[in-house]
Amino acid sequence: MSTAHTEPAETETPSTPLGPSQIATLVVLAVLAIVATKVSNVALPVIAAVAIAAVMPRRHGWGVRAPIAIFAGLLTLFVVKMWPAAAGEVPETTTAPWEPASLLTWLFGLPIAGAIAILFLPRQAPRVLKWTTLIVMFGTLAASLPLLSISYGREFHFNQDIVWMEKLGIHYHVALDGISLWLVILTSFTMPIAAYVSFGSITTRIKDWCFSLLLLQGAMIGAFVSMDMFLFYLFWELMLIPMYVMIGVWGGTNRIKSALKFFLYTMFGSVLMLAAILFLAYQYARVSGGTPSFDYFELQRMLVPQNVQTWLWAAFALSFFIKVPMFPLHTWLPDAHTEAPTAGSIILAAIMLKMGTYGYLRFCMGLFPESSAEYAATAAGFAVLGGILYGALCAWRQDDVKRLVAYSSVAHLGYVMLGLFAATGASLEGSVLQMVNHGISTGALFLLVGVIYDRRHTRHVDDFGGLAKPMPVFATLFVIATLASIGLPGTNGFIGEFMIITGTFVSTKLGHVNGIQAVGAAIGVILGALYMLNVVQKMFFGPVTKKENKHLPDINGRELVAVAPLVIMVFVIGLFPNIFLSQIKQSCARVQSDLEARIAANPAPSYYTGPLKLLPRKSEAPPPTVAAKAAQPGQEPGK
Amino acid sequence: MDLVASLFPQENFSLIAVILGMPLLGAFVNGVWGRRLGKDAVRLMTLVAVGASFVASIVAFLALAHVVDSSGHKEIVDKVEIVRHDHAKLYWTAWEWMHTSGGREGAVVPIELKFSIDALSGVMMLVVTGVGFLIHLYATSYMAADKAFWRFFAYLNLFIFSMLVLILGDNLPVLFVGWEGVGLCSYLLIGFWYGHLPNAAAGKKAFIANRIGDFGLIVAMFVLVQYTGALDWSGLNSGAQNLLSTADAQQIHLWPIGGGQFQGFLKFLQPEHPFSITPATAVGLMLFLGCTGKSAQIPLYVWLPDAMAGPTPVSALIHAATMVTAGVYLCCRMSFVFVLSPATMATIACTGAATAFLGATIALVQNDIKKVLAYSTISQLGFMFLGVGVGAFTAGFFHVFTHAFFKACMFLGAGSVIHAMHARIHDDEKAQDIRYMGGLRKYMPLTYWTFFVSVLAIAGAPLTAGFFSKDEILYRAFINHNVNPFAEQIHKRSASFAIWEPPQWLGPALFAVGVLAAIMTAFYMFRLLFLTFWGDFRGWTIGRPSLLAKQEKEEHGDDDHPPAGGSQGAHHEEDLSTPGYAPHESPWQMTVPLIILGTLAACAGFLNAGLFHFTPMNHWLEPVFETATKGALKVKEGAHSLEWPLTGAGVAAFLIGSGLAYNWYVMRGGAPAKALAEAQPALYRLVLDKWRIDELYEKTVLAAVDALGDTAASFDQSVVDGVIARLTALIVAALGTILRAFQNGVVHVYATAMVVGLAAFGWFFVAPHPNAAITEKNGDYVIQAGPGMGYAFRWDADNDGKPDSEVFTANDQVKVSMPAGESKTVTLEVVNAFGLTGKKTITVSRPAAPQKLELGQN
Repeated sequence: MSTAHTEPAETETPSTPLGPSQIATLVVLAVLAIVATKVSNVALPVIAAVAIAAVMPRRHGWGVRAPIAIFAGLLTLFVVKMWPAAAGEVPETTTAPWEPASLLTWLFGLPIAGAIAILFLPRQAPRVLKWTTLIVMFGTLAASLPLLSISYGREFHFNQDIVWMEKLGIHYHVALDGISLWLVILTSFTMPIAAYVSFGSITTRIKDWCFSLLLLQGAMIGAFVSMDMFLFYLFWELMLIPMYVMIGVWGGTNRIKSALKFFLYTMFGSVLMLAAILFLAYQYARVSGGTPSFDYFELQRMLVPQNVQTWLWAAFALSFFIKVPMFPLHTWLPDAHTEAPTAGSIILAAIMLKMGTYGYLRFCMGLFPESSAEYAATAAGFAVLGGILYGALCAWRQDDVKRLVAYSSVAHLGYVMLGLFAATGASLEGSVLQMVNHGISTGALFLLVGVIYDRRHTRHVDDFGGLAKPMPVFATLFVIATLASIGLPGTNGFIGEFMIITGTFVSTKLGHVNGIQAVGAAIGVILGALYMLNVVQKMFFGPVTKKENKHLPDINGRELVAVAPLVIMVFVIGLFPNIFLSQIKQSCARVQSDLEARIAANPAPSYYTGPLKLLPRKSEAPPPTVAAKAAQPGQEPGK
Repeated sequence: MDLVASLFPQENFSLIAVILGMPLLGAFVNGVWGRRLGKDAVRLMTLVAVGASFVASIVAFLALAHVVDSSGHKEIVDKVEIVRHDHAKLYWTAWEWMHTSGGREGAVVPIELKFSIDALSGVMMLVVTGVGFLIHLYATSYMAADKAFWRFFAYLNLFIFSMLVLILGDNLPVLFVGWEGVGLCSYLLIGFWYGHLPNAAAGKKAFIANRIGDFGLIVAMFVLVQYTGALDWSGLNSGAQNLLSTADAQQIHLWPIGGGQFQGFLKFLQPEHPFSITPATAVGLMLFLGCTGKSAQIPLYVWLPDAMAGPTPVSALIHAATMVTAGVYLCCRMSFVFVLSPATMATIACTGAATAFLGATIALVQNDIKKVLAYSTISQLGFMFLGVGVGAFTAGFFHVFTHAFFKACMFLGAGSVIHAMHARIHDDEKAQDIRYMGGLRKYMPLTYWTFFVSVLAIAGAPLTAGFFSKDEILYRAFINHNVNPFAEQIHKRSASFAIWEPPQWLGPALFAVGVLAAIMTAFYMFRLLFLTFWGDFRGWTIGRPSLLAKQEKEEHGDDDHPPAGGSQGAHHEEDLSTPGYAPHESPWQMTVPLIILGTLAACAGFLNAGLFHFTPMNHWLEPVFETATKGALKVKEGAHSLEWPLTGAGVAAFLIGSGLAYNWYVMRGGAPAKALAEAQPALYRLVLDKWRIDELYEKTVLAAVDALGDTAASFDQSVVDGVIARLTALIVAALGTILRAFQNGVVHVYATAMVVGLAAFGWFFVAPHPNAAITEKNGDYVIQAGPGMGYAFRWDADNDGKPDSEVFTANDQVKVSMPAGESKTVTLEVVNAFGLTGKKTITVSRPAAPQKLELGQN
């Protein structure tokens, strides 16, 4: 019953200041609660939900208390269910878990179908549109929960591989491993929050907005699960359009320029990536003597000579670096964030930027391990100097809160990229976790900035001051999000940063500079505190200097319901990171050992200079689906 | 005891959950419902939380003592039978937290949320919960009028929780949770009255100074995990030897960074002897950087005086008794790492001595009662580090222990005084200014007597707590000499490996600085005492109570702060010349803690009275420091004969300091001090302004970071965005403009372009193009000329300058063969249908033999 410690029994203690009858009631309840937890694991979440509902301040109606309570209950259930089994413990069930192959299709199919359905709904009925959107999103969230029922090892799950365009070797191939698992969950978890909070502030063109949201969600989930490069590219580009529209239509005053900048930057990279994908597929056909292939696991087999690989790596990496974004390709991000509506910023920061880091981890490191290792040290230098330190310094000097948070994203993603470049077990796991962490803490920050923007229509730090007085709850939540962002131990930010920094120091990929890079990353911890606390002090503390701020209403029910899950997740990840890490661990170990094996076989500095050849298929890769048994993959090139 | 032992086995001592859980619960309840619960409930909750934690701590401590006792085994050393004990611990693991990779093989290092109580943390735990409880009790009265009463106690309880996590954590990351947690609470409590901007700024300053220290701790953690492959105490202890590896690859190369080589034009940067340090030194210095942040040592001490902006109980609890001693605790906890590097130990000792001296000089002239105490705290922390730095871990820790009592007592006494002064003087700065006080012993006897005892203790009056702890430190500083415990083994393994050893004069020098600081301590403490409690009251005119009762109807607020939210103007400034009530003694909630702490300040020294060979504390802590001190300390010969003379120096320091203060401030009314200040106005100003260290930092480090930030931000706007975005856009636009010039819709222009184009095409067809492709097979090269309209070819394959045949033929290829490693030149001439000829010289070279093999394989 190790799980009994996960949530303190909140019902017991407020008894002290209450009357005898209430004390008796509470004691009875507490005893019942303890007994119930002994009887069944499921009791704990129910108790947590009831307790949370009971302790929420009275002034919030049930419309606020019920969702948060339900969420708390679900989260407790999640912690209890996902608790990693101790080393000696034998898992209770030995039957194979339910693993329908079409589940991933449902995950992005639902939102896309929802988006199409939105088109047929009347523009004049905003409530219907909003509810449809939310229901589809919750449906997606519910559909993504079975993903958690599986213990992810080194292999891929939910594999669905259907031949799509046979002549071109294009498959419809989706699969999931421990790395993409949490990103998919993050997407299905964050999107309803972003949508819900946006319904308060977006008042025009609701239909278009709902359509964009759903399409975006579908595209993002699709990109995370695609194992066919063609399919991946399709989703990768599909993502751009709704986001472009979101910034361009519902953005701030400079929206058109920012939207265009966002689009051009990302498009520039992706076109190069497309060229590289086509080249790879074509080369595959040449070397295998059969049809081309866009399949990730097939392309992974190709051993490309160094001079060619460098260019292919560069084309992929550039595309991902722009998306992350890494210095010096980052300037689209502050502009896009500043102009984007709140929900757009949340989605952009929480999920879309992860596309870059995920892409680098999956495709650059998976397809071009030699080149990834070759340029790791240099790229890590960019991540530390240009990302972590420079991004933090820039953030410090911003007057616009949203710009500040945007630059802090540059710094945080510098950590993620550093962890990927270092490519040790701990740093990779830390990076994947930090992707989720950044989504949660920065998502929360953007949400909260949106709250204050809706009230004052300014994001200028100097327009605030002393807000803790009129808006205490808001200030508390903002400070919590800030602390998560600066990586205070006990919050989620610390776990990721700690693992990345310690992992970087033990890395062998970064040459002799790994030490100074780890130290540089650690200095980023100081700078993080500097810029975040600076803005907190300017916004919330001191006397209320502006009279507009004197009577600002505190955070309202809708906003509280939206931000509560994020704030709770901050602590869930901070205190129980093993729930997440245990799923990530083996997949990261696979990436790392693949990388190590390839580098060991083709050592530095020349790596591999021979002709292009095919290696045997990886044992963890799902079995290939071959169309019509025409070409035998693995056959030696016939000359 | 048996019941406790059966309920809580040693390996799963879940009572720790209660010790930790109660303050957390208190923080949670007060933080979430505090506003609705009302003051009484908050007070009850907070006291019950800390009190229960204290009781549980006592039980845990007794259980530990029981385990330690039962582990005793007799040994005979120097024909005297002594009882040795194991380093016993009580463990409790909450759950597995995370993991990282480390060690030579990059193995997985699990990090558990694990807590343990051993002799060291047991004592510390009792101090934190015990003193913490007294200060909580005091604060319930002190803060009674504050609107945010609940918030204050939520923070305070959270602080106790964090501090306990720091102390009880069984590995560095868990300690770090507490370490940052107390920093957070300190931040929140310094800025408790956030409506006043300087308070919030002081909080931020404290947090950032602490973060610089935390940076050191993070660095130390990753170096440790890399070299020892563990982060928990026992794992670190057993792996610590790896930090002293002599292999070059295992050193920390500082310059060139990472042990690289500067090449090319950077070669001038390459030093003759690369500068590197052992990992032990690196870890030690980085850990110590963490300690300087948390424990306010040079160079990071500047936040502590500003931290006095917080409520006085906070100053007593966090910034005197507990949190600031966390650095000393860490040094004791990681003693086995520190001793591996005598250089680090010397750094710690010197920093400690310097801080003790610097803090004392500033405290000499301050007029704010809390500032004097703040600098005195810095100075005393310096003493602790001096003790730890010379390897006298027990002595250093014992000073933590005694200091907690007398300094907490003094801060609470100061709070009591400020509380009284606030009755009439509502300005914060004035209410804390000792120039407005005086003669208070008449009105506040309890406060006076407890304060007096504490002053005696800190000044080192014989037989008080401070006497025993401080003199032990000075004595150890004189006689101890740190050496590398593995010097011999290292020497055997690699004779050229440099091992640093501190010079022999270091000990006496540290002792001398320490005695000087002790003299100043006695002086400024008695100055404070005399100015505050002796002489005549200078605050306001004191009238007869019977008359005053008629005059005064209004309530006077007795909160000692501007109310949050900037309504500071609500207090009207009183005319202090009109008669008012005499300053009043504080209520029992405030005086009882004072009495208890005062008593402890007087008596606690006997727990480790080295002078009388009665040292239960030393004996108790011995197992903790056993591994660390073994072999690392050389005690000077004849040290024991020095014990009494050196103690004499300590007593003399007390007598000189206090006597001088009595002479100047009581007998001569402060005239000599004034005269001295007037004689040396510049020096006086400088010391009064705290040596302008803050200004120095502002001008140098902060200005540099500021400039860096400005540069980065403008660089980002102008250069990065300028080049990547605007310049590319400009180029594309310019290209468009140029191309647009041609698309002007004028038919003539198009016709001209067409003509030019046709002409160009025409010329291309008319001119012959002698191109050739070369293919190779086993050394035979075939040169194939490219085809064209009506082309005929003529070759010069033997390279004699003349064509092989006079006429142009249709033969469009020629074969050349040659041995490996040679080359030949072939000339190709082409004539086309228009009779124009073109010529091209082609050089074919065959690579040398080994290449041929490879080609053959292909």
